[in-house]
Amino acid sequence: MLGQTYHAALRGAGHHVQTCATAQAAILAADNIFPDIVVLELQLVSHSGVEFLYEFRSYADWQAVPVIIHSNVPVTQFVGGKSTLEQFGVADYFYKPTTSLRTLIGAIAQHTTVPA
Amino acid sequence: MAHSTADIGPAPVLSQQLLLSLAEQLKLPFLQIAREAELATLAGQQYDAMPVIRTAADSAIKLLDNYMLGVQLAGQPGQSFLTEPVSVSSVLYDAGAELLPLAKAYDVRLDLKIDGKFGPVMAHRQGLQAALVSLGYALIEALPAADKPQLRLQLSAHRSRYGIVAGVYCDAEHLTTNTLRQGRRLYGQTRQPMTQLMPGSGAGIFVADAILQAMQSQLTTSRHQHLRGLAAILQPNPQLQLV
Repeated sequence: MLGQTYHAALRGAGHHVQTCATAQAAILAADNIFPDIVVLELQLVSHSGVEFLYEFRSYADWQAVPVIIHSNVPVTQFVGGKSTLEQFGVADYFYKPTTSLRTLIGAIAQHTTVPA
Repeated sequence: MAHSTADIGPAPVLSQQLLLSLAEQLKLPFLQIAREAELATLAGQQYDAMPVIRTAADSAIKLLDNYMLGVQLAGQPGQSFLTEPVSVSSVLYDAGAELLPLAKAYDVRLDLKIDGKFGPVMAHRQGLQAALVSLGYALIEALPAADKPQLRLQLSAHRSRYGIVAGVYCDAEHLTTNTLRQGRRLYGQTRQPMTQLMPGSGAGIFVADAILQAMQSQLTTSRHQHLRGLAAILQPNPQLQLV
């Protein structure tokens, strides 16, 4: 339900949006649509967002795609720490409960060259 | 004899873990409400209550987060590495920014008095800010009962013989040491532990109390510039004072 809200907000900002409930579905979707940016929750069913990042970044085609973490996990509790974020080329990290839609939309605009 | 996890009984209803789990889960519906309200505003829907709905939900999320931070800090007693030199003025400024939407929703004027040189204090920055915001939430919600023509809340700091006192102040005459003492005695046992001051549970005050205690600071009542308030007593950083 919350995903639908974000979907509607990003679509309203002019983006084509694909939402995925699992890491596996996100990899398959990325293979089909070649995203300009990925907005990632770390807490997923089965495979975590970190596992998604390992998989996603292992493909040469996707190494330059910006990834924004937008998660219920505060950055202070992110297990991997700052070095892991840098290793994965994470463009921004937002704590979902206190991040407004406007902030998220602004960050996506900042990290994509595609006009909304 | 080995036990499987299935042998472990249900969580006791009074367990801290159950409360933490509940707090984490409660953030989801509040998040849904807050973002739906924001989405409606972004989409240009003209419904005056949307900003208030969003502010109420955002405030609930922050209070839950602050409670969880208090539990987390309390679970690491004596870990002095958690504290760092912190600028009181910047924490008050950030706390004011967090409180502003709720103050507006309650028609409370929010003043920030951060003039004066206090130097850095030793504190857990996130914890101090969370405590001040929690206190602010509690007082903002209590102020309408004061029935004053202009409701006003002030965030400020001053020096005292005990250290740097940073807190939230208002002109509620019942905000006394005795009220706080009574609240601490009654909280968890009655629905309205600070009955002279606020109609609700005053959870924000007790969340702040727990956070400050975990930070080895303390919550106290304070008077400053003819106002009464709830404040943290913070110790200056002695090393940086020498520089």
